[in-house]
Amino acid sequence: MSLVNVTLLTVTWAAAATALVLPAGLLIAWWLSRGRFRGRVLLETLVSLPLVMPPVATGLILLLLFAPRGVIGRALAPLGIDIVFTWKAVVMAMAVMGFPLLVRTARAGFEQVDRRYEQVASTLGASPLRVFLTVTLPLALPSVAAAAVLCFARAIGEFGATMMVAGSIPGSTRTLAVAIYSFAETGRDADAAALVVVSAVIAFAALALSNYITTRAGVRA
Amino acid sequence: MITLDFTLQQGSFVLELHEQLNGGITALFGPSGSGKTTTLDAIAGLRRPRVGRIAVGDHVLFDRSHGVDLPPHGRHVGYVPQDTALFPHMNVRRNVLYGRRAGQKLSLDVVVRMLEVGQLLDRRVPDLSGGERQRVALARALMSAPDLLLLDEPLAAVDVERRRRILPYLLRVRDVLGVPVIYVSHDRAEIDQLADRVVVLDEGRVVPHVRGA
Amino acid sequence: MSAAISLTDALQEVEKAYSNAGGGPLRFNFGGSNVLARQIVNGAPADVFISADEAQMNYADERGAIDRASRVDLLSNRLAVVTPRGSGRAIKAVNELAELKRIAVADPAAVPAGVYARQFLETAGVWDRIQSRLVPLGNVRAALTAAESGAADAAIVYESDAAASSRVDVSFVVTGPAAPRIVYPAAVVAASKNREPAAKFLAFLRGPEARAIFRKYKFS
Repeated sequence: MSLVNVTLLTVTWAAAATALVLPAGLLIAWWLSRGRFRGRVLLETLVSLPLVMPPVATGLILLLLFAPRGVIGRALAPLGIDIVFTWKAVVMAMAVMGFPLLVRTARAGFEQVDRRYEQVASTLGASPLRVFLTVTLPLALPSVAAAAVLCFARAIGEFGATMMVAGSIPGSTRTLAVAIYSFAETGRDADAAALVVVSAVIAFAALALSNYITTRAGVRA
Repeated sequence: MITLDFTLQQGSFVLELHEQLNGGITALFGPSGSGKTTTLDAIAGLRRPRVGRIAVGDHVLFDRSHGVDLPPHGRHVGYVPQDTALFPHMNVRRNVLYGRRAGQKLSLDVVVRMLEVGQLLDRRVPDLSGGERQRVALARALMSAPDLLLLDEPLAAVDVERRRRILPYLLRVRDVLGVPVIYVSHDRAEIDQLADRVVVLDEGRVVPHVRGA
Repeated sequence: MSAAISLTDALQEVEKAYSNAGGGPLRFNFGGSNVLARQIVNGAPADVFISADEAQMNYADERGAIDRASRVDLLSNRLAVVTPRGSGRAIKAVNELAELKRIAVADPAAVPAGVYARQFLETAGVWDRIQSRLVPLGNVRAALTAAESGAADAAIVYESDAAASSRVDVSFVVTGPAAPRIVYPAAVVAASKNREPAAKFLAFLRGPEARAIFRKYKFS
């Protein structure tokens, strides 16, 4: 039971995390790809932070913010909203860690869309949002899809931040990566090895899919 | 009355115009690099002049001294760029209808018949010939019911034979719809056939010219 | 010196006493005893191993990683149930734990403090009810921290950990016949290249000065 369970839960959480960051991530990616605005470098840096900081450091920051006595946790507690050590913390950690990867990959895709299309759409009366939804996004779809897949793969592999902010509660917050660690620590070597194989397979499949999508788009273009 | 009274700087290149145009077809003529496309970009709102005023009739598109700078989607200017830029992910019908606003009086039928693109509506963009693309791009620009039409060398990529066949469509647009047109070209013959007046640009400035010279 | 993490504060004070008594320099490696045992079995360069339970010492022993002759039972401890200081919640009996949302423990699968906690809960007949509320963490100090920060509503730690912290309240100490038998064995590591100093330090740990320090930190 538990190995299949862990895998299914992890895949579900990673999918939820990806879905969560997709809208904001794509808009920010587009924004960064198009404008020269004040504070753009600051935004770029903030977005890239989880990518460059040690994951446990990011996890600790999340823990300090969302623990019941933390700045944000304090406001949520009276509403009955519990984040730390629940699946919500897992999804949040995965989302935070996958977000920079999503933005970077999508941004590269948006930058490759010929601006003329967007400009013409604009002259035809389309607001910037409509241009984004009807022209930029469809034309950048392969990159966007690849970005989502990479974000998903990163979420599946997420360990440091998840461990910090969600722990390793079997059936509740124990992700694939965290389970490998816990099993290795407590002597369940065979189980740990089995999960290593599972995560390798998932990572391989995700990367292969991402490469396939971008290559196919390249061929068509 | 179209007012083009502005100065635009791009690096070391300076474009300066002080023109008032009555309706009809105005040709913008000049060597490459003289600022023709930049002029169209400025009118469409894709580039911002340093100072000046751009207006189509009473509709002020840009007026630096009064802080007016309409975004492209608010200018009601139809733009057909040199490479037509038809949306590759949409079929012809969706391309043409892209700029159509609810409740506008101009119907798809009229435009389609005028430019004879009826049988192309369900085709995909990559399947179109050069001349067909031009007509579709023109139809798309017209369907947004613009107050002014900007055409950037629309016939440059079309062979001589077909060119002769497309010219009448452009005249139809002027005559039937009454939409003023600014038409960029480096082909004297086209200009002589189409234009009601010619503005000659050289290195960013208008030079006086004698028609037929 | 690979030592159970619950010994952190006590051993740091012992180190000073040892140095004052003319002993040589010491280096400590603290962690969950299960992790330490596996490190030693895998060849980590430790000279002395102090485990928080016999199971982990046996694990190392069965693999020939410790000098059997040097093995001694060094200390004992007791379990304590703690709550975040100022949370206003006092737990008087073990079955009240079932009313809490989250109880932090060291991983009951293999970390000694967690194993002891499980034994205690099983003996008290509440394991099935409480198991789903447990948050298993890497070691007993992590469980303590979770209670300190309020991330968990309570934690089951050692009495010595509770004493070392100023940010938790002790609800009760586990005593009586239901209490698990807690033993901290110590031994010289078989592959140690410093056998003599190791044995010397081990002897110091059993001496009166060290004993007084341990008692101060609520070890017995």
